[in-house]
Amino acid sequence: MLRAFRFIVDLFTQRHGVVAFAFFLVLGILMHASSTTVRESIVSTALSSVFYPVQLLVSSVNDFKSLQAENEHLKEENARLRQETYHASEGLQELARLHTLVRFDDKWDFPIVTSRVVGHNPGRFLTTLVINRGTHHGVKDNMPVFSMNGLVGKISKAMLTHSRVQLLVDPNLKLSVLERRTRVVGFLESVDGHLLSAMIPSHAGVAEGDTLITSGLGGIFPKGIPVGTVHKVRKADLDVMSLMDVQPFQEFSTLEEVFVMQKEPDWIIQELLNE
Amino acid sequence: MSNYGWLKTFLMFVLAFAMQSSVGDWLKILDVGPDFVVIFLVSVSLRYGAATGCFWGFLAGFTLDVYAPVEWLGANAIAMTIVGFAVGQLEEHFLTINLPPKIGVLGLAFFVNDMFYFLITGLEKDVVTTLFVTRTVPECIYTVVIGGILFYLTSGKKSNV
Repeated sequence: MLRAFRFIVDLFTQRHGVVAFAFFLVLGILMHASSTTVRESIVSTALSSVFYPVQLLVSSVNDFKSLQAENEHLKEENARLRQETYHASEGLQELARLHTLVRFDDKWDFPIVTSRVVGHNPGRFLTTLVINRGTHHGVKDNMPVFSMNGLVGKISKAMLTHSRVQLLVDPNLKLSVLERRTRVVGFLESVDGHLLSAMIPSHAGVAEGDTLITSGLGGIFPKGIPVGTVHKVRKADLDVMSLMDVQPFQEFSTLEEVFVMQKEPDWIIQELLNE
Repeated sequence: MSNYGWLKTFLMFVLAFAMQSSVGDWLKILDVGPDFVVIFLVSVSLRYGAATGCFWGFLAGFTLDVYAPVEWLGANAIAMTIVGFAVGQLEEHFLTINLPPKIGVLGLAFFVNDMFYFLITGLEKDVVTTLFVTRTVPECIYTVVIGGILFYLTSGKKSNV
């Protein structure tokens, strides 16, 4: 046994590491060239078996440290919220009356799952988060994820006890947005995994400081979740469109808790996703 | 490498990722921060050679890939394997490398790593140009500064493991 191990080690270290280099390079290329299903499987297995337990442990230690401070903070917040609840219930009654009057039907009447962020990309490009809620808690693939400040992303893969969240800055996530003032629809994406940009028709006159919200089109995100503000307006390749740098409402690297909206994609989108 | 060497490198690996997730965020200036993972990889490859560099490069890259978009799986692993191997060759050919060349190697490794990563992910040319100017160059300078300090602090404690 020891001899066999020694043989493998010698094989890898001989010829100035060329064998080891070739081995790991081929392994990397095979991973990169594999199908999406295989890649998902590799990532899910690695995350569930190694990375999630380690991150959960580290996260728990940090949580324990901050428990006392959080307790004090929660007591204060509880007192404040009691006061606010009274005013809110008054406001809700008024809102219900107004909804009936204007036949408002874009209600977010989906259950919410509160979850804790237990891990994120340790690299320079933050595109994924790991949260401590999974299918066991009712979380499913493609459910919208948001925070107190605004939209965060969507569930890219729900596992039994945890899930991966695809952030808005993931280049593979594109979503339809609506500018609040002009009511014009455009789409939002990140081409470099770092900055968010939106394409909106030029004629609408969207300017710096305008607010973008989800449009409800696309079937995954409900209408009205705040996304970000227009930071800079640039010329796009097409004259009829404007390219805009968008500053998201939520800073992703500082997220500690997020909410998962238990809204499954519309059936037609689900069909397309399944295909 | 002895068992002690493996253990020490593993602890450095964990420390590099822990620092990247915590100190890395705190040290950010205008969204530009140092890359402790590249510092770790260059340090290990220079000390233990190409084979070890490949191994830890692949492992570090794969760890980053797990949290990257699934479509880019393997990009970090390949880029870091190449960097680990290339830097490790220097250890093979120039057994003792002083501090200034070490820092130069770190800067070069950072560039090579980013270039291979961008190439493998297949980002568009203008996006890569923007990323190069806004991310790679400033982060490389920052990483070289932090890496230089770390190399200087640890240079006196180098043991023959």
